[in-house]
Amino acid sequence: MADPTSEDKPKKKHLGGELVIPVGALLFTGYYFTTIIDVPFSAQVSAFFVGSILIFCVILLLIRSFFEIRRGEADLKLGSLIAPTSYVPKRLIMLALTLSYIFLIQWGGFTITTFVFLLLSMLTLNEGRRKGLILFLAASLALGGWLLFIFAFETRFPEGPFEILMKGVL
Amino acid sequence: MEIDWGIFLEQFARTFTFWWVILPAIFLGLIVGAIPGFSAANTIIILLPLTLAMDPEVGLIFMVALYASSRLGAGIPAILVNIPGTAGAAATPLDGYPMTRNGRAQQALAISFVSSVFGGLLTTLIALAALPWLSQVAYYLHSVEMIVIMIFGISLIATIAAKDTLKGLIAGFFGLMIGYIGADVVYETPRGTFGFLELYDKVPLIPALVGLFAISEAFAVLEGESILNKRGQAAIQKAGWGETIEGVREALSRWWHIVWTSLIGLVIGVVPGAGAAIASFVAYQQSKTFSKTPELYGTGHIEGLIAPESANNGVTSGTLIPLLVIGVPGGATAAIMAVVLTYHGITVGPDLFINQPNLAYGPFTAMAVTYGLMIFTILPLARYMSRITVVSTVYMAPIIISFTLVGAFVPRAYVFDMYLALIFGIIGYIARKTGYHVAAILIGVILGPLLEQYFLRALRISEGDLMVVFSSTIGNILWVLLVISLFVPALADWRRKRKKAAEGGYDVEGC
Repeated sequence: MADPTSEDKPKKKHLGGELVIPVGALLFTGYYFTTIIDVPFSAQVSAFFVGSILIFCVILLLIRSFFEIRRGEADLKLGSLIAPTSYVPKRLIMLALTLSYIFLIQWGGFTITTFVFLLLSMLTLNEGRRKGLILFLAASLALGGWLLFIFAFETRFPEGPFEILMKGVL
Repeated sequence: MEIDWGIFLEQFARTFTFWWVILPAIFLGLIVGAIPGFSAANTIIILLPLTLAMDPEVGLIFMVALYASSRLGAGIPAILVNIPGTAGAAATPLDGYPMTRNGRAQQALAISFVSSVFGGLLTTLIALAALPWLSQVAYYLHSVEMIVIMIFGISLIATIAAKDTLKGLIAGFFGLMIGYIGADVVYETPRGTFGFLELYDKVPLIPALVGLFAISEAFAVLEGESILNKRGQAAIQKAGWGETIEGVREALSRWWHIVWTSLIGLVIGVVPGAGAAIASFVAYQQSKTFSKTPELYGTGHIEGLIAPESANNGVTSGTLIPLLVIGVPGGATAAIMAVVLTYHGITVGPDLFINQPNLAYGPFTAMAVTYGLMIFTILPLARYMSRITVVSTVYMAPIIISFTLVGAFVPRAYVFDMYLALIFGIIGYIARKTGYHVAAILIGVILGPLLEQYFLRALRISEGDLMVVFSSTIGNILWVLLVISLFVPALADWRRKRKKAAEGGYDVEGC
């Protein structure tokens, strides 16, 4: 049976996650200001104007958060930023795969790297199920992308062994 | 400058004979508009060898048709997967995407198509009739007025992110600071670049757009099997033609909303540099301010979808006015058109209307014909397009990540821009999960360089006197309107809460 007192208690707001953007903005503004200290006035004034408003807004938010925590209505847990936590590993794997995709695309080119990325990420997210379908999807999307963007529209996509080979063949 | 209605009608009849150019341009425009990173401007640049080889009139009609259809195409992914095709469609997902999640993707697409087409068609016809007068708007807006307009744009964020104005302002001004990264326009001093040469030329918009909307969304949707909620999944399964008709009816029954929000787009389009992104947010904010049900905005409200779509299509004709009348392009695509016209030795300006009326009125009649043809070509596709929403996120997220990241690479061919898109993706993900609006950050990034440019120009003219920002009558009127636009929604909200509290005891939200 649920504890009736816990039901009556209002849920605490988790402010840790909500403060990431303002604190990041504050740090970036501070860094930006250090880069304009020695520049002419006209190159400073607009950034100081906007930066000051930003700092003012962040300070207001921090004061508001401080009072919410003091009143017991909030705490500094990360809350919604990482919720639901069961998906955190999948997200981290996707992030690692995305970073590898960007890193490798300059050598592997669009078609090969996209194929490998789609294959690995879809298999990871689908927990290894439906391998055949995923292989077909990854191959057809990578080849379709090459056909439409590189071959038909001659768009500046990253080139690698496949693109160079096809250029030679066609 | 007076209009010869005979030439006007003759031009319409003549434009119809170019259907063979307009139809392929429509399909191409819809595709490139729907892909983030493939703006109309970029596509016209890619196709420049083709356009330059064409007869100037045919080339101009082709570019105009591509431009108008890409504007409409940009709203499709914004509604279906929360990824605007261009910055001009950044306000479209605010209500378009919640409609999709509720299983009303087909209706949302139909509403978007009808609003875009009728908004675009109406403003094109008005632009055509009012060319001599509308062109004067650009003469009255100088640096000071533009500063107020830019800050006006940012102030909208506070009201758009109405659940928490403070968070909205932080997101917007953070975006502005990001927009200030790069070398300043007068002294070329690098600022806030973290030492990256790639950022000297300001933060590129496409990676910012791709990251904030597409990458962050792809990481966010991993939580569910589908982007649709349970009600949405059930609704999309049984959707037929009826849903498209329902969407058309819902849009047409709000015809007055289409009219006045598209007019906002037209007027903003005339202002050089202001563009579709600002117009769509201004229209959205105004629509919400004057609505009887502002609390419904952001939940899949029809008027919240009509406003940005009508406005950003209203901009398309507006941007051509200063180009053709005074030779100042209203936006990137208009600037490229100016390049093509110059290549052919055509001088834009008042003389063009007398010497070569085909070229002067042609772009507007081409735009009107494009919008007319577009409604018949795109509306039947709404039913099939909406099916994309049933694709599992397991497949959709990796596709979005890979294809949009490559889209970030395209404009400058820097792998750095793909990393930049990922960084914006992480910022966007944190913002989404913690209640900051990604659109607010994006509009800040867009407006940052423009605001600084006008600020510097005003300061140079006034020899460093900061009070210059209050030196113009039009500017001061705009300042007053800005203050009103910030406080009226807050006041209305306060009154609503008081009324609610008086009726139902107490207000849960409190303050």
